[in-house]
Amino acid sequence: MEIFWACLWSFAACAAFCFQFNIRGRTLLLASLGGALGWLVYLLCTPLQNDIVQYFFATVVTAIYSEGMARFAKKPATEFQIIALLPMVPGGGIFYTMEYCVIGNTSMFVRTGLHTLGISGALAIGVLLVSTAVRMIHIARAHRDW
Amino acid sequence: MNYTDLVNTAVETGYLLVSNGGEIYRAEESMQRIFRAYGVNNGEVFAIPNLIEVTVRTPDGKPITQIKRVPQRTTNLDRVEQVNALCRHICSDRPRLSEIRAELNRIGERPTLSFPMQTLAYAMAAAAFTLFYGGSPQDAVVALFCGAAIRLTIHFLERFQVNSFFVNMAASFVAAAIALTAANFDVALSYDKIIIGALMNLVPGIAITNFMRDIIAGDLFAGILRLTESVLVATAIALGAGIALTGTRMFLGV
Repeated sequence: MEIFWACLWSFAACAAFCFQFNIRGRTLLLASLGGALGWLVYLLCTPLQNDIVQYFFATVVTAIYSEGMARFAKKPATEFQIIALLPMVPGGGIFYTMEYCVIGNTSMFVRTGLHTLGISGALAIGVLLVSTAVRMIHIARAHRDW
Repeated sequence: MNYTDLVNTAVETGYLLVSNGGEIYRAEESMQRIFRAYGVNNGEVFAIPNLIEVTVRTPDGKPITQIKRVPQRTTNLDRVEQVNALCRHICSDRPRLSEIRAELNRIGERPTLSFPMQTLAYAMAAAAFTLFYGGSPQDAVVALFCGAAIRLTIHFLERFQVNSFFVNMAASFVAAAIALTAANFDVALSYDKIIIGALMNLVPGIAITNFMRDIIAGDLFAGILRLTESVLVATAIALGAGIALTGTRMFLGV
């Protein structure tokens, strides 16, 4: 049940951002579903006991979803990707890092900061892997005669 | 074939893409495609997030160059989508240049969300993210106000053309201050979740996503610019909220 609520709020948050970025109609629905899907994958990977890996898998699934939806809806992939990746952006990490810094808890400050960096790295590598794969497929298709 | 018109049209297309949050490679490729659609194979195109440069050579060997600065960038993915559709149309049907210009003007004037609706969208995003991060419904209600306050602060400061670093810092400060004040009156509120939810409105998600896409596409320069931008914005947000936290600790003793 908790999983359902988390995914629902993820969907709602993504939808609100779609309004901010002027995305409407079917694209809004599909992009926000991507956000919910990403968080579902994150939660389903909880048994892995390592949230950086969880973030990585969630990003990979989201990116594949975005590229797929871009082909399906004939819209730029960024539209889906930017929205669907939002729930994974480590806003909490940035905030707690700053809070520890303000309190003066240096060891927790460094620890949380490095952890946040790790999460950002996981997101970046996830997006990188999928985009590279998509580009390879594109080029392979363009040169069928290889 | 009027080369001046062609260059103008291409630059205008690229400008719309870059200034509305499209990736750099999309802008460069679109401009190249427009040139190729009209039989110009020697077009040179270079774009970074705040500049577009285009050169083509006329048949008698004379180069035509245009440079266009992109002073302000917003995120309006609706326009990116429309320009993208227009580029597909250009490549397949090769309409007349005047037709493309009319279409570009139409895209540039497509309605954006009105200010009250934008404020509402910011408030909704803040509330939804607060709930998403595990806040209670009461937290979400406070977050609604924080989100709206962020939009109002941005709107107010933009009228004075304040730089974006300070805008982010001030907006983050206002949101955090509201959350902390509310938490001071009602201990049941978890101020951290409210602040994180509200600040998601400012987090440069688009810069983070696009910078990876730019770097993969080989536009290292654009990628580095965007990375710097996202680090700066994150710092500004952290500073703003940090000032609010320190302030309340001093004056209210939270």
